[in-house]
Amino acid sequence: MAMNVCVLYSGGKDSNLALYKASKEMKIKCLVTVKPESEESWLFHYPAVDIVKYQAKALGIPLILDSCRDDEESSIKALYNVLEKAIEIYSVDGVVTGAVKSTYQATRFQRICWDLGLWCFNPLWQINESKFLHEIVNSGFEVIFTRVAGYPLKKELVGRKFTWEVVEMLLGLKEYINPSGEGGEYETLVLDMPMFHRKIEVEYEVYGSDYDASIRINDVRLIEK
Amino acid sequence: MILVVSTCKYRLSEEEFVDPVIDIIREAGLDYTLKRYSEKLNFTRYTKVIICGTALKDFDYMNYIDNFLGLTRYRGGILGICAGYHILGLIHGNNPLEMRRIGVYKVKVVASSPLIDRGEAKAYFLHNYALKNVEKPLIALGLVNGEVAIYKVMGKNQFGLAFHPEVLNKSIIRNFLNHSDK
Repeated sequence: MAMNVCVLYSGGKDSNLALYKASKEMKIKCLVTVKPESEESWLFHYPAVDIVKYQAKALGIPLILDSCRDDEESSIKALYNVLEKAIEIYSVDGVVTGAVKSTYQATRFQRICWDLGLWCFNPLWQINESKFLHEIVNSGFEVIFTRVAGYPLKKELVGRKFTWEVVEMLLGLKEYINPSGEGGEYETLVLDMPMFHRKIEVEYEVYGSDYDASIRINDVRLIEK
Repeated sequence: MILVVSTCKYRLSEEEFVDPVIDIIREAGLDYTLKRYSEKLNFTRYTKVIICGTALKDFDYMNYIDNFLGLTRYRGGILGICAGYHILGLIHGNNPLEMRRIGVYKVKVVASSPLIDRGEAKAYFLHNYALKNVEKPLIALGLVNGEVAIYKVMGKNQFGLAFHPEVLNKSIIRNFLNHSDK
């Protein structure tokens, strides 16, 4: 029988691919999202919470949402809270995360899961960057860049979709950046993927400087696929 | 041909604990076969064996320990990672004790081997069981805070690692693959 799990979800490519992989073997009972104060958080990605709510609706999966300060103590406390709720409400036995390379993140996720008696699954852990990026495009994900945070990634990339061409461009920049964005070089948002029953449409504007820019989302809606 | 043995109950865990090891084997240009702990294993067909780790809550492989007894007669190289360290220790009469370690720790390498030189190395640990000391035929090659982090089977190129080399110490796996057992 499939295990009941929750997924640590930030709305970007990593947590969506982890969710997609987990859905093939596990029963996804809920998503859990912890929103940090800013992009400075070491433990969590900085998600656009309103969008995460739309993504949960598009997926038809319940969402447990909490917020925290950027410091480690507050982040860990919030993670305990959301996971305890997931156990209580949805009887989950495991957690799926989108951790890729950070031993800081993985260590904390593993310790918290152990304390709460939960299995911890990290299907993207140590994944080869080329395999990872190609899998996103091959699996039919529609992903846009929501932030670039340093040379040589330019402002023009913000709002642009992940395509074969973009993946090859990122892999070609290996000398300067981690192509999968693991070092915070860029952030992404998933607008559609095979598990979405409806897709997300956003209206946005781009702000910031040449190599440090983000999108400001003005409107979001769910549309038929 | 390298035999890679998965000790994972769930395929989702294999993406975490087995696939990164397979990526290193592929990068080295070597052929491999993947088998699961619950299958009958014929080790003699392979030049080397790597037994990968699994999730912290996964002990299902312990129900199939008999499948690994053939390793005591095997002459080729063995690399036992976490669950593999547990299994290799058990079949050689060394019973790991419950000692949980999660995170990055410094390993003191007390004796050089084909895998790693004497000195210090940071390694990523994720285990519930470890050996406090080892008895023959095992000898300790590396220590971390009072537990055996690396051991060797005397007279053979067979090693147990209490940490996950595929995370911070990929060269250990490459050295194991490149080293001749003869």
